[in-house]
Amino acid sequence: MEVSVIGNPQARICRAELAYRELGFRFGSQVISPDWRNRVSFLSQSSKWKEIGIRCSPRSVKCGAIVSGEVPFLKSTPKSRSLESVKLFVGLPLDTVSDCNNVNHLKAITAGLKALKLLGVQGIELPIFWGVVEKESAGKYDWSGYLAVAEIVKKVGLKLHASLSFHGSKNPDIGLPDWVAKIGEAEAGIYFTDRYGKQYKDCLSFAVDDVPVLDGKTPMEVYGGFCESFKSAFSDYMGNTITGITLGLGPDGELKYPSHQHDAKTSGAGEFQCYDKHMLSALKQYAESTGNPLWGLGGPHDAPAYDQQPHSSSFFSDGGSWEFQYGDFFLSWYSSILTSHADRVLSVASSAFSGTGVSLCGKLPLLHQWNKLRSQPSELTAGFYSSNGQDRYEGIAEIFAKNSCRMIIPGMDLSDEHQAPESLSSPESLLAHIKTSCKKQGVVVAGQNSSAPVPGGFERIVENLKDESAGIDLFTYQRMGALFFSPEHFHAFTVFVRNLSQFELSSDDQAAEDETKTVGIGSGTGAASLQAA
Amino acid sequence: MSTVPIEPLLHHSHLRHNSRIYRVTRGFVPCSLNLRSHFTCNKLHSIGSTVGPGMSLGFRSSKHRRSVAIRASSSDTAVVETSQSDDVVFKEKFPVQRIEKAEGKMYVRMKQVKEKNWQMSVGCSLPGKWILHWGVSYVGDTGSEWDQPPEDMRPPDSIAIKDYAIETPLKKLSEGDSFYEVTINLNLESSVAALNFVLKDEETGAWYQHKGRDFKVPLLADVPDDGNLIGAKKGFGALGKLSNILLKADEPGAKVQEKSKSSSDSTKERKGLEEFYEEMPISKHVSDDNSVSVTARKCPETSKNIVTVETDLPGDVTVHWGVCKNGSKKWEIPAEPYPEETILFKKKALRTRLQRKDDGNGSFGSFSLDGKLEGLCFVLKLNENTWLNNRGEDFYVPFSISSGLPVETETAQASGNTPEAKQEVIDTAVTDEIITEIRNLAIDISSHKNQKTKVKEVQENILQEIEKLAAEAYSIFRSTTPTFSEASVLEAEADEPEIKISSGTGSGFEILCQGFNWESHKSGRWYMELKEKADELASLGFTVLWLPPPTESVSPEGYMPKDLYNLNSRYGTIDELKDTVRRFHDVGIKVLGDAVLNHRCAHFKNQNGVWNLFGGRLNWDDRAVVADDPHFQGRGNKSSGDNFHAAPNIDHSQDFVRKDIKEWLCWMREEIGYDGWRLDFVRGFWGGYVKDYVDASKPYFAVGEYWDSLSYTYGEMDYNQDAHRQRIVDWINATSGAAGAFDVTTKGILHVALQKCEYWRLSDPKGKPPGVVGYWPSRAVTFIENHDTGSTQGHWRFPGGKEMQGYAYILTHPGTPAVFFDHIFSDYRSEIASLLSLRNRKKLHCRSEVKIDKVERDVYAAIIDEKVAMKIGPGHYEPPSESKNWSLVVEGRDYKVWETS
Repeated sequence: MEVSVIGNPQARICRAELAYRELGFRFGSQVISPDWRNRVSFLSQSSKWKEIGIRCSPRSVKCGAIVSGEVPFLKSTPKSRSLESVKLFVGLPLDTVSDCNNVNHLKAITAGLKALKLLGVQGIELPIFWGVVEKESAGKYDWSGYLAVAEIVKKVGLKLHASLSFHGSKNPDIGLPDWVAKIGEAEAGIYFTDRYGKQYKDCLSFAVDDVPVLDGKTPMEVYGGFCESFKSAFSDYMGNTITGITLGLGPDGELKYPSHQHDAKTSGAGEFQCYDKHMLSALKQYAESTGNPLWGLGGPHDAPAYDQQPHSSSFFSDGGSWEFQYGDFFLSWYSSILTSHADRVLSVASSAFSGTGVSLCGKLPLLHQWNKLRSQPSELTAGFYSSNGQDRYEGIAEIFAKNSCRMIIPGMDLSDEHQAPESLSSPESLLAHIKTSCKKQGVVVAGQNSSAPVPGGFERIVENLKDESAGIDLFTYQRMGALFFSPEHFHAFTVFVRNLSQFELSSDDQAAEDETKTVGIGSGTGAASLQAA
Repeated sequence: MSTVPIEPLLHHSHLRHNSRIYRVTRGFVPCSLNLRSHFTCNKLHSIGSTVGPGMSLGFRSSKHRRSVAIRASSSDTAVVETSQSDDVVFKEKFPVQRIEKAEGKMYVRMKQVKEKNWQMSVGCSLPGKWILHWGVSYVGDTGSEWDQPPEDMRPPDSIAIKDYAIETPLKKLSEGDSFYEVTINLNLESSVAALNFVLKDEETGAWYQHKGRDFKVPLLADVPDDGNLIGAKKGFGALGKLSNILLKADEPGAKVQEKSKSSSDSTKERKGLEEFYEEMPISKHVSDDNSVSVTARKCPETSKNIVTVETDLPGDVTVHWGVCKNGSKKWEIPAEPYPEETILFKKKALRTRLQRKDDGNGSFGSFSLDGKLEGLCFVLKLNENTWLNNRGEDFYVPFSISSGLPVETETAQASGNTPEAKQEVIDTAVTDEIITEIRNLAIDISSHKNQKTKVKEVQENILQEIEKLAAEAYSIFRSTTPTFSEASVLEAEADEPEIKISSGTGSGFEILCQGFNWESHKSGRWYMELKEKADELASLGFTVLWLPPPTESVSPEGYMPKDLYNLNSRYGTIDELKDTVRRFHDVGIKVLGDAVLNHRCAHFKNQNGVWNLFGGRLNWDDRAVVADDPHFQGRGNKSSGDNFHAAPNIDHSQDFVRKDIKEWLCWMREEIGYDGWRLDFVRGFWGGYVKDYVDASKPYFAVGEYWDSLSYTYGEMDYNQDAHRQRIVDWINATSGAAGAFDVTTKGILHVALQKCEYWRLSDPKGKPPGVVGYWPSRAVTFIENHDTGSTQGHWRFPGGKEMQGYAYILTHPGTPAVFFDHIFSDYRSEIASLLSLRNRKKLHCRSEVKIDKVERDVYAAIIDEKVAMKIGPGHYEPPSESKNWSLVVEGRDYKVWETS
């Protein structure tokens, strides 16, 4: 058995069994890894992010039992929440590595990373695209570009959080792997499809998860291979530089249906994406098994179109179809596909990365548009539903808990007052809701902002992070780029970082990373930053 | 935040005097004191063995060689007690200077003595060396410029300042008077329309204005009111609420007492002239000298170090402290127990409030620390915003032998000026430490709870590195970012080809001519005069000409701009300017405009009567003014740089300000034809903004004036000026290299090297030039004199008679040399001409390679690009003759220049 402890560096761990027990009590920290058959993680709220991997003898299995015998996800909330305990990460540009495995704007990233390190940011989020790494053919991985980035991050002395993206992106234009796209040309059913037959080619349909559509392999097998390859390619970084991995759970990396396809700006609540071959056949099967074969012929006929207001047709309106038996039938099925997709991906990942000392994360969307409507249609089209008015997020949170996975919630910078009144949107209450669901299930929440800066965003983030009940200790700010480093924005960001955490004069991490000991902070002006012109 | 450094950051050489380094007999570790005498301090005399100025004491070394890591500066005297008792490890009394704001009042009085005999008096109640700096406006004058008053109006002890002003000191008429006063007899027969004045305190160098402008006392009814009239309320109906920019902003205490008198006895044209008396509050910063005594004892029983701190500082004094271990001066938190009234501050330091002494004069405290510790570092905190340190460094109390470096430093300096010794020691210890500790202090302050409001200031001080990197990242990202929607909106020009973005640094072969001096505005037709010299300057070999600031300005020299779009100035009209620029373009010379972007004089006052609203085409309001200069009540953000106190400083963090400035620069490029910029006082705002401006206006050449003080130790200029040049390089970096900067470091080092015959200073430890030119030659604009340092101002004049050595250096070395106008049209002309012609002939450029061939006390010699050799200094040097044939081309007093033939 392996035990990995992510704990306070001051903790002296002499004997694994002892330490094990001690940590469990002393820190009262969040034990988020119930997968105690082979792995237990402790995440303390220490501001230092140090890993100590311990190998235990089989005797310590007993201890595992002790810990798991305690209320597994009971979280002891610190009495006063200091922001110093929040680890701040910053996302690298989506196009950090180009699809021919070059590192884009290398110089800018290097300079940027140094700046962030000096500023006291703990780590960097790196989006890794399936379509870049396994571009040409199945099983042929090229990690060189990402490895180069990891090396830079390590040298600068930052931590790395890798986001494994099994989706494509329109901006920058990174698709699914070429060989997958080729399969998709012949076998269109692998993509999400809306009722007009329009395909969403940046993500495979959840319905094919366990269907061997990729040259005889199921997408889950392919994802699993990808994870394994990542693990071995980055083995040197695992658990030291790389402290966390986010698994891409769907379009834009978020667990959701691509209900808006590409155009998120349309005013509507999105449409159901259940019209690909595999979804339809799954629906049919489900309808037959529940004794309503006629309901299995297609999606709801009275759902509004992309550009229509949600209440303009009968499905989402008060007393509309969604509240009746058919609605419950369809939505239960639609959301169950989403939930089981999450479960599949997360279990694939948690078995791949068990024992590496990294924490796993998955990201949810913050579907705050229209959430003041009773039906909350944006969430329904994206696949979040629960029968009988139960908590729509609790089931998902349970899946996360089961796979000892953190939940990333974006949109922590959004506040209600800046939403257009006609969008009937309340990001704050939705966020609070998801946080509560997570807390119930013992899932640790990590934060992100929405992709574009919003007015009052930083203040809102700080409020969210100060919220004791959520206990967010990891926040990833999206995302580095020209806008991020523009004088206006960077100043605001600097202020934010200062508010968040003590400016570290000399972090303990620094000893190992001489590179960062550049001018000034704690080490004098020694390194004259010369530029031979 | 106001850290009160005991030394001003910006100082000119005249502040440094009286300091020496003493050799001390064996057994004593030398302790040198830097003695200054700005203010007298009596308190110090009362303690211990008093030592007169110019003396120094050593510490007695008992069993061990002892570290004396503290450099103390003293105001007048400094006392160092040497204890004979063995258990006293350290004893020192540090003088500290506390800046206090003294408030008083000033008045302006108009009085009729006899018919046709009027007197104006100005008085001030605060102590100081007050000078009335005044002039008059005549009937028919327009604009805000001054003229000199008629002879008979000048009080006897007046001094004429150039041709437009008079300076008359204020005096106490008798000892008991509470006011310093000056009285001017008005000549009403003359055509004087108004009196203009400002009050100047020679002690502090501060100028006191009225609502951001000169005081103006109208003597005629139709004097145009720009809002700064005094005493005109009834008579001329103009006076609004009084205020004074350097005084309290909202003027609660301003009293206007006007004695209205029948005007029938005035002369006809002076109808309406009335007696008046106005009082205004006035404040000045006065420094108060106190001291801190520190004694460290080793307690033989417990082997603990007992440190007592005693001070006569009034009020609550908190010691913000940490301990040092393992030879580093890093602050660490000792193990408990702590003294009473101690709190842990952010896990970085401890804070102990000192106990008040029973007699109420000051406070004391004692610290018992583990005997193994090496020292105690501390700074004093008086209140949220006032911190005291030891001349920019933390106070450091060493306990034992181990921190050896500082000792060696002292020894090396005391025992002879061998450059080798110095360079090693100073390199590793002194300068780095100073900077580190200033930064540490600043960081501690920044992390204080009220940090939010201070962030900007701190950023500039500490986070230059971060900003530099961020600016670099920004510039690359924006030029490579393809089509991120949010980014492309912000950076409209991002997708333009990069070639278009000029580096602002010219071809590399530029030679600058500063085309004016401090007096050039006098003739009123400088542009025309300069235009006539175009051919001459071109034939001398100049490629770039720097013109004076062209905008309407409150001061005639142009550095107090008002309406940026009004280019009629004392130097000539906008058309003359265009004409001149065209002429220089014809002869192949590029022209730089002097852009004053840090500050701008206001047109209007706000509701509090403070001048911070602008007029003209750029009619900004107080959001364009930085918030941290209380005198201008700006509503912008805190300044991203240092403040220039005579005018509202512009808040460049505001989008609309930057947009307007960019537009203005582009307009100047197009309308006038300027090819680039000389940027005034760029210390005042973040270099990243300069990059923005340079990017927008795409100049051919841009150079910024980043002028701060070099490093001195005990009044002697340090050999290693890396910190100084790094600050300049940091600024250039913040602009992402878009602009160069004047190489102040090289000028400073040349001063000392030439003046004191210490030519060894001209090679840095790595054998490269010690100025900016040794770090980043393509961005260094070398110079030896400009309108501020020389000319009639002479703020920091190059050693007289040695100018040609300076030119032999900068005109042969890499960097872009700038020649001062006064020197071109002087006896040096032909020598400068030969050097210019040599530089052009041999194609030396800003990146030329310099190989230093000889550095000794009395001679410095270098070979540049293997084709030019030069030496300066009285010592002998001949270029190596084995490989090349050298022929002497230029020779003058203490310098020679050869070229390969």
